[in-house]
Amino acid sequence: MKSIKRSQYIISLFIIFFIAGMTALVIKIRTEADFYMMNSDGQALGMVYDRNGGVLFDGKGTGIYEDNFFVDVGNLIGDNKGQMTNTLVAQNLDKLNNYSFSSGTVDDGKAAIYTTLDHNANRAVYNAYGWQKGCAVAYNYKTGEILVCTSLPSIDVTKGYDGIEYFESGTLISKNMYRTVPGSTQKVSTVVSALEIMGADRLFSKVYNCSAHYTNLNGDVIDCHNQGGHGDQNIQQALENSCNPFFAQLIENNEDLPLDDIKKQYRKMGYAVNDDEYGYIDIDGIQCETASTTLMDSHEFRTQWGCIGQGDTMVSPIQLMMWQSAIANGTGKMTMPHIIDHVTDVNGDITDIAETSFSKQIFSADTASTVRQMLLTNGANHYVYSISGYTVGVKSGTAQVDEGAKENSLLVGFVDDPNKPVAFCILIEDKNAGFLTTEQVVKIMLDSINLQ
Amino acid sequence: MDFFTDTSNIFLCAVSAAALDLCVLVLILIAYNEKKHAQQYWNRISCCMELSAPDVSYPLNCDEILIGRHASADIRLPDLSVSRYHAILTVSDGIWTITDIGSKSGVFVNGTLVTERILRENDVINLGNKRLIFRRRRNNNVH
Amino acid sequence: MYINTFLYIISCIFVLLSHSAMLLNIYFNGNAESTAKVIILSVAVLGLDFVYFIIMLMFKQRSYAIDFLLILILNMSVIFQSCFGGVHLSVKHYITCIASLAACKAGYIICKNHKWLQVQKKYIYLAIGILIVVILTLTGSRSMWINIGSISIQPSEFIKPLFVLACATSVAEQQKKRKVLCFYVVYENFALYGLTAVICLLQWWCRDLGSLPTFVGIFVCGFFLRICYPKAKFSKKTLITAGVILLIVALIALRFAPDYVQERLHTDIWSDKTGNGYQQSHALIAIADGGWFGKGAGYGDLHNVFAYENDIVFATISEEWGLLFALMVMLAILIMLAVPLINPPRSYYHSTMSAGVCAYFIMQMSLNIFGSCNMIPFTGVTIPLISAGGSSMVTSGFMVGMLIAAQSPEFKRPAIRQQRNARRQTA
Repeated sequence: MKSIKRSQYIISLFIIFFIAGMTALVIKIRTEADFYMMNSDGQALGMVYDRNGGVLFDGKGTGIYEDNFFVDVGNLIGDNKGQMTNTLVAQNLDKLNNYSFSSGTVDDGKAAIYTTLDHNANRAVYNAYGWQKGCAVAYNYKTGEILVCTSLPSIDVTKGYDGIEYFESGTLISKNMYRTVPGSTQKVSTVVSALEIMGADRLFSKVYNCSAHYTNLNGDVIDCHNQGGHGDQNIQQALENSCNPFFAQLIENNEDLPLDDIKKQYRKMGYAVNDDEYGYIDIDGIQCETASTTLMDSHEFRTQWGCIGQGDTMVSPIQLMMWQSAIANGTGKMTMPHIIDHVTDVNGDITDIAETSFSKQIFSADTASTVRQMLLTNGANHYVYSISGYTVGVKSGTAQVDEGAKENSLLVGFVDDPNKPVAFCILIEDKNAGFLTTEQVVKIMLDSINLQ
Repeated sequence: MDFFTDTSNIFLCAVSAAALDLCVLVLILIAYNEKKHAQQYWNRISCCMELSAPDVSYPLNCDEILIGRHASADIRLPDLSVSRYHAILTVSDGIWTITDIGSKSGVFVNGTLVTERILRENDVINLGNKRLIFRRRRNNNVH
Repeated sequence: MYINTFLYIISCIFVLLSHSAMLLNIYFNGNAESTAKVIILSVAVLGLDFVYFIIMLMFKQRSYAIDFLLILILNMSVIFQSCFGGVHLSVKHYITCIASLAACKAGYIICKNHKWLQVQKKYIYLAIGILIVVILTLTGSRSMWINIGSISIQPSEFIKPLFVLACATSVAEQQKKRKVLCFYVVYENFALYGLTAVICLLQWWCRDLGSLPTFVGIFVCGFFLRICYPKAKFSKKTLITAGVILLIVALIALRFAPDYVQERLHTDIWSDKTGNGYQQSHALIAIADGGWFGKGAGYGDLHNVFAYENDIVFATISEEWGLLFALMVMLAILIMLAVPLINPPRSYYHSTMSAGVCAYFIMQMSLNIFGSCNMIPFTGVTIPLISAGGSSMVTSGFMVGMLIAAQSPEFKRPAIRQQRNARRQTA
């Protein structure tokens, strides 16, 4: 009867509501179970391997390793202790956990992360630094595989965190991921912008004089590192000389190089200009800061220095390296770096195989090949002996930090060799404290990288 | 050995889950079977009565049956002479009673205007222009 | 006596079989210190089964399906509760289960004759009134527990079945209209609305916001069955539109709710794992850890977390027995609630009562399960028949009794009215 039917409708509605809720719950649990297990105390973590099968992280903690075996990648690979969060293990605990919803936690499971890193090369670079600090990163600009990513000072995670309050600052982070003053390596970005806006012919026709000091229209003085000045030079010479007055005059030339166009080009390349919000480059869960700068007025001191590589400009080494890939590829598209090659789950089945991906066009292919040629010329003219055996396109930089108290040395570049397509960025902190040069590090790094 | 305990765990889990499922299934079937008994019991309570109009007959399947013009009435008589809620039929101890619930045209049983009246077999009920006969159900396939 | 002996024996066998399968599972993979404990548990569970099968026959019912489902679920809950953190018979839960069975039979006897019950409706209101006074006077300041020695009673639980009975209504009752001004008014409905308001205020005052949705659920159910029938002022279309509008308004209100409300609604349990999110995050981890097939009876870790045996019992069961099994237990409860769909009650009063019971069960289960799994705010309510807790077990047992009553009703005029009628006739 109708009256009874009505109550039956209500009962059915309630039951359907509950079943729908339970379905949603099961789907939620099924998809988020890995995440829940990351928060569990009873984890059975697997291993992290390098490209040659060497151990980079031992989740089981059963292996026996030499002293400081993991120190070169300590602050990149990290661990699950929670002290370092922006690390490969901390960000990928769910992949490393020997757990699946159907089989539960398996203590001797086969979950593992196979990285693209080359442990030998990392160790060689780490050792090359000696007691000096800094960071070095290199990757295959054809595939995006990060080969070397080391940062000093570092720690060996197997030793724990005793005396953490006495650790030197920067021990627990990979400096490659964080912004630093780029110094003259910034001039690459400025050259790229100028080429995009003016075109190669007009840019190469520009000749400016350098007499060690340049007083801009606002009356501020831009100094050159060469006390005698460089005289008249074109863009190629200025880039090789890393001549600050030349670039100051180039920026100040508002007719040929409107500042709004520079801003537009900088934003395209990933800078956060003025009050833009910072973004992050995601490298397999690890967050890498993007560049930032301040460009207000082309006659302003700060803006000119910003384009030269001091002032408010900050870039992370990884991003400097990624721009090199866009130049080296000759396409104007950056190769997106990745660090995980593939992952195996608890049963040993391969999941998450990395694929090479590219950014969108950040500058034209013509610009890329012009800058590529300029950097190769620079390399051929100045680095043939120091980086012997490799055809490299490079740009060096010296960055003043701590208000000029210290100088960091930087070198960005790429190897022009189809068998070793490596783009890199080297940073040596406080270069005047020791005798290590960036070229030495690059040489050691390239020698030790084994792509076969 | 590890493998054995592992699989035996899953096996026993599956067995107990299956036993539970089977039990629930059997109880559902039993509930369906009991529906038949409930119908028999209801037939005893309601004396297998029905209301029949010339062309249709209305089974009496629950203990309060609302008769009226409104769509939500259990027995709907779409005639303007019937009030929206006209009368209600109730049963207890096998006795059916018809009650007028404030209708405009009244309830007539065997020609007499009533407000509440115990119905007997073959009583003729007039609601407005509609005429219903209270009688034992004809089809014999109901036990 | 049961109508069909064959079906009775079949049902008994299958209930015993499913309990035995679980006990066997405990015997082989359970975390039992000694076999004796498993045997004690088995004797207790199977013994209760047998005793109840016999007792069942003493009641002249026409339907026993719900009885079988009840004993199946209750003894499963005894097994669950006995396994948390190592196998040992949970005597307290065992006793409350027996109390629950007794309450079930009491509920059946009280509710089987709906005509008698309707005559007693004022006493239902009176009982609720007394319980409210008891809560206001005897419970500690603004709480919901009465502590007598070592026993804690939650009187607000006992209001729930009475409220279901108050919400149930018959067609005849809804036809007793009185004209007030130019509206036809059913006094009984207004009594119910007033009662609901009082109960909601009381829940608010007691800070027992967990029970509030249950009461609202039961009321909504009763309210719909009043306004749709026999008044039927609202067509299906109007109702659906109203529902959709309400939903949209609720969503908009949620979107623009003040921050502190939103914060309460979306607690990020993972960033507060040791504070407010402790129970929920551990419950979710436990479910994930258990997976489909569980860790084995007695091997769970969740029994170290507060309220493992009632508020987050779904997770505790999932961890030890597997999500699959926990879902099936919930399915068994749903099937019990769905029996009125298979075998419809014969009176409107009983069918509204069944709907109320269904609303109570579903609301409690939803609040508990979805709350402990962080889909809705976490409120400490119990899963009827599964969670430990005397008041809740007795109440839900009584409610199941009401379902049984709707299946095996009696159609007799209440004695009082018959006497009065007889007197009137003789006069």
